[in-house]
Amino acid sequence: MFNPDINDYQLTSIITECCGGVAVVYSALYKPSNQNVAIKRYFVDKTRENANLIQQDILTRKALQHPNILPYLTSFVHGRELYVVSPLMTFGSCRDILDRYYHEGLPELACAIVLRDVLLALQYLHKQLYIHRSVRASHVLVGANGSVRLSGLRSAASMMVRGRRQKQLHNLPPPDHDNVNLVWLSPELLEQNLKGYDERSDVYSVGVLCCELANGAVPFAELPTTLMFTEKQRGARPQLLDCTTFPEPCLHDGDMKSIYNTDSGVGDSEAPRARQLYGARKFSDTFHHLSDLALQRDPEKRPTASQLLNHSFFKQIRKTDYLPGLISRIKPIKPDPNDMSAMLLQQKLSEMDIEKTTEWDF
Amino acid sequence: MDPRMCRKISSSESLPDADNVEYEVSNIIAPQESEENFLIEGSPEPNSVTWLDDDQIDELDLNLDQTNLFFHRVDSADIIYRSKKKKCKMVGKYVMGDVLGEGSYGKVKEMLDSESLCRRAVKILKKRKLRRIPNGEQNVQREIQLLRILRHKNVIELVDVMYNDEKQKMYLVMEFCVGVLQDMLESSPGKKFPQRQAHDYFTQLLDGLEYLHGQGVVHKDIKPGNLLLTLDQTLKITDFGVAEELNMFSPEDTCYTGQGSPAFQPPEIANGAEQFSGIKVDIWSSGVTLYNMTTGRYPFEGDNVYRLLEAIGRGEPAPPPASLGPTLGALLTHMLKRDPDLRPTVQQIRRHAWVQAQPPLEAGERLVSPRSRRSDELHNSTVIPYLVERHYASAQEYFTERDLRHELGDGGSRTLSTAELSDAESSRRKHRWHSSCGRLPSCRLT
Repeated sequence: MFNPDINDYQLTSIITECCGGVAVVYSALYKPSNQNVAIKRYFVDKTRENANLIQQDILTRKALQHPNILPYLTSFVHGRELYVVSPLMTFGSCRDILDRYYHEGLPELACAIVLRDVLLALQYLHKQLYIHRSVRASHVLVGANGSVRLSGLRSAASMMVRGRRQKQLHNLPPPDHDNVNLVWLSPELLEQNLKGYDERSDVYSVGVLCCELANGAVPFAELPTTLMFTEKQRGARPQLLDCTTFPEPCLHDGDMKSIYNTDSGVGDSEAPRARQLYGARKFSDTFHHLSDLALQRDPEKRPTASQLLNHSFFKQIRKTDYLPGLISRIKPIKPDPNDMSAMLLQQKLSEMDIEKTTEWDF
Repeated sequence: MDPRMCRKISSSESLPDADNVEYEVSNIIAPQESEENFLIEGSPEPNSVTWLDDDQIDELDLNLDQTNLFFHRVDSADIIYRSKKKKCKMVGKYVMGDVLGEGSYGKVKEMLDSESLCRRAVKILKKRKLRRIPNGEQNVQREIQLLRILRHKNVIELVDVMYNDEKQKMYLVMEFCVGVLQDMLESSPGKKFPQRQAHDYFTQLLDGLEYLHGQGVVHKDIKPGNLLLTLDQTLKITDFGVAEELNMFSPEDTCYTGQGSPAFQPPEIANGAEQFSGIKVDIWSSGVTLYNMTTGRYPFEGDNVYRLLEAIGRGEPAPPPASLGPTLGALLTHMLKRDPDLRPTVQQIRRHAWVQAQPPLEAGERLVSPRSRRSDELHNSTVIPYLVERHYASAQEYFTERDLRHELGDGGSRTLSTAELSDAESSRRKHRWHSSCGRLPSCRLT
């Protein structure tokens, strides 16, 4: 048990700012048991709208219990801020890992482990009649022992509405501050017609996550939002970039080149390097197949999370495979008990701007 | 200012080469744009949108025509057609879609928020038209004021308000809804809902009313025509044009004016009472609404407004048909008491047996679904075709008859009908979609 009292926690460092400046995540030491935890501190006053979402997030996480879902430990109000305590996920989010150490994407086996764990979390969520609605690398956290946990339950929706089980939902998830989340959402969810969407919408997001993890870059991310929308409606499917899918550099028009760079998601200077990397590697056919299955336009044809877990792609995982060992470039977030700067920062927090270095949304 | 300055002429449209002068015939052959479809090169920045008046557009067309003052002989094969397409127009950050409905004040259109991709509806109010409606401008002002404060899941949300002074238009951006209860009733057998469905809507109406009354707002025009449904069947109370905010410091809910729809007005208004309880007006109207939803009839009928008001003012309501069952009958009778003081409050209605228990769907009864729009049962976004035009179709908007015949595989030289042209165009477009999609290295068409 963790006490809901600020005096039992010593903030050790700032991990990140998130939710468009509404919250800051710290690493902290829980003094009674000498355990490292993560504390998310919300400036609730800053937005009235978000208070409901934070509440929703906490309530949802309280109701759920699964090894692959970020648990909720406790929460309390101190001063004018709300503090939510979670276990510290030492290696940060998969988005952090991609941004810092693996620009070109994670090795296939690492992708397999992460995707399997995300699918296990979704399988559980779907069974509990929740749709996650924001499956993305920044919501997939990696712990010290290589444990993978899904966070971001703020935008999760229950299929139980007014005590009745709904077959489908129709509303968009609550908008995040810059609408980035839309990139991961399924075409049927974005379409907002009477047909609605169900838990298979998450499976589509898993498909986008496949590409994100494997390519390093997020598909559709550089496109104007409305173009991303029409591309999805027309059934355009992002792909894993390797020698089988990445086109030869001899392209006929400049138009093409821009799409190219866009999709590799890297700047002009890095494009040739990324192109080389993509062109030189080869993902297994089963990986391509898995992402293709998940990204089907028609939700009826898309497999469920449980069905995907039985996909032969995951057969390559051995019991001895250890995620941090497979992605050895990563370094843990090191809380330094002697670093008083966090304490000082805490005092000054309201006046200063914190540079956004990582994306770690709970 | 030269009107041409107002319209960004897209590169393909201007056809700058001298050789192509004849081809401007396309301006005559191409379908004339209505004002709504008139292209203003879409751009997400609100400031870059240039507005044109109808007059300006006419002037613009005249100017273009002057270049064709003398005739050239043009072979039919040389005529370049311009595809009739959905021209993407933006207002602020919103992409305009099709017209959803039309009222005396102006049109309601679908829109898409280009940032959040949320579907919206916009009420376009023209000042010119508004002035002709009694109390038009005041009612709109009141509606905006009220909707800005109100926030409840059963009350329509006003998302944004935009003005265009030049065009004398006002845009009220609202939540997107798929239908009005009134339309659904009209399209259903017997013009009524199964009790199960009416119960669902009525309980939501009660939730909305309870909130409104708690906020000190009296709607005064509750009727199926002012109850909308969203995609997920959430009921939204709309049209606060005649609503009234009660004096916060007064213990009474006294109102002095009634402007609602006659068939839903209570006896006190029909009789021209100088003052009356506002809340009990809403209760009466909700009673008439429930009566109407479950029977397909009205408790009072009259050949014209005067007869109708006379009937409401003098008579007793037609008793609810026995087929409704005793519980619903009792509820309706209670809500339609001539004496406002005898009508129940929202809380009392909530505790009524009919409201408490959800009635089952009887054998042979079918739930009425929102009326399909232009044979689209799913109510798909009408903005997508405009977006497609904007993102994909700009490259080849001109084509000749020969191109088309080639496309159709037709060797003959007869002139094509418009329908054939548009069909051919749609198949062309499909073809283009495939070809353009194949060029995206990371994308594949399903």
